[in-house]
Amino acid sequence: MGYLIHYSTIFFLFLGCFFILSGSVGLIKLPDVFSRIHAAGLIDTLGTGFIILSLIIHSGFSLLSLKLLLIPLFILFTSPISGHAISLFAHESGYKPKAKLKR
Amino acid sequence: MPKNNPDSPKTISIIVYFILLFALWFVLSGYLKTLLLFFGLISVIFVLWMSVRSKSLNYDAFPLKLLIKLPIYWIWLIKEIIKSGLTTTKIIWKGNYTPQLLKVKASQKNDTGKANYANAITLTPGTVTIEINKDTFLVHALSKELAEDLQSGEMDKLIKGLHK
Repeated sequence: MGYLIHYSTIFFLFLGCFFILSGSVGLIKLPDVFSRIHAAGLIDTLGTGFIILSLIIHSGFSLLSLKLLLIPLFILFTSPISGHAISLFAHESGYKPKAKLKR
Repeated sequence: MPKNNPDSPKTISIIVYFILLFALWFVLSGYLKTLLLFFGLISVIFVLWMSVRSKSLNYDAFPLKLLIKLPIYWIWLIKEIIKSGLTTTKIIWKGNYTPQLLKVKASQKNDTGKANYANAITLTPGTVTIEINKDTFLVHALSKELAEDLQSGEMDKLIKGLHK
């Protein structure tokens, strides 16, 4: 059981780090603002999500894991708002996305 | 319209807010002493009194039946986030992005439902809500398959069921 907890912690931590790495690569690699927001959203949801999951497994199920669960809960509400705000102001200030509008 | 509501849903939602706030206080502090619990109770009541006084409570935000439907919806949302996150990761590493703008129709009736739908679209990686008109969202998607996934309307239907 101890081994299981240990190795699943390592596995999920590695997975979260991988998603944060690929989000950061996407932030540099993708062409315009609107596409880069997607990469940032990847860091917000999957990166922090998996890292906090591994921390919950590591700490055992106690009051501490409830506290840790509150972090993704607040990210769940705040991260889309920041993404929407950036894209809305980019759109309103006349920045054209590379994509065409499809009907 | 919170003003035209009769008094009873108001008190119910205040009680729900009270339970949520006190649970939040307890989880964050973790104290079990009577005196400290009493202080927590006082601070929760003070916050509730202030927000009722400043009329910043949203009275239709927590219908009680939502508490049953919400966990099912969250599990579905996590599944969706992981699925589209994997697609986005693949696009980032391979580099074959075909970004698309599309208009999505939202069939939710009230504002909370629309906000929830727009939130869910932005939360799943690969799709971002840019602009909200009355009931159409302007959505930027990172690839064709993500856009088609959104246009199938599964998420729309689920969130509409959530806010009935």
